[in-house]
Amino acid sequence: MDSDPKPELAAALELLWQRFLPETLERVASLEAAAAACSAGTGDAEQARSAQAAAHKLAGSLGSFNLARGSILARELEVLYSGDDHPGPELGPQLVSLAAELRTLVEHR
Amino acid sequence: MGYPSANLCPIDKRAWSADNNCWEAPSAVSHKVLIIDDEDDIREVAALSLESVAGWQVVTARSGAQGIVRALEEKPDAILLDVMMPGTDGPTTFRQMQANPKLAGIPVLLLTAKVQASDQRAFADLGVKAVLFKPFDPMELSAQIAAVLGWS
Repeated sequence: MDSDPKPELAAALELLWQRFLPETLERVASLEAAAAACSAGTGDAEQARSAQAAAHKLAGSLGSFNLARGSILARELEVLYSGDDHPGPELGPQLVSLAAELRTLVEHR
Repeated sequence: MGYPSANLCPIDKRAWSADNNCWEAPSAVSHKVLIIDDEDDIREVAALSLESVAGWQVVTARSGAQGIVRALEEKPDAILLDVMMPGTDGPTTFRQMQANPKLAGIPVLLLTAKVQASDQRAFADLGVKAVLFKPFDPMELSAQIAAVLGWS
């Protein structure tokens, strides 16, 4: 390449981030809802599967948008939701805390 | 990759351009890569990365089935294939490509967010060229692919 692609790439990545932000926030919201349900003891297997899928997608994408910490948090959530049973109330505070930090990171990127 | 400017290009590598009436450095070698991923954001970031950093041509598909059709149409030099997709997943798509003589020779690199060692062993056993991990650095993705495939 004749010119430095970094500025052009960074600008284009920013546009993509903005375009996909609503979808990203929806995934964070689903993680928050699942965490709240686990805390309240009302979580079920279907919600845990959805949360695991949302966490997996966030883990795979956030780092590419310069949110490496976001990918790490999402990976932790994916693991917590990946058991055979849905997480019980004892994991509620951890799930809520991880989801809250994830939202802060995404909103303040 | 091309030369930073024609002045830095070795003389014996330059070619005469009748259009511009001067000696020019050769343009960067352009490869065509097919990206198969159901996630719109990942697919677009990867495409942007390969196009803007390496100058490669990129074609995309959002499912394994669509990817096979695109591969037959486009004859890419390499395929970047997501593992977890609804319907036909990456490993199944890869096996279908291997069973098709028109596609079996195209190098395939898996792209996955799965980090468990057991998953990685299973992917390696498939016979793909490499397993690349999400999240990837958009500045580095093309270099990773080029290193695996020996593209200079």
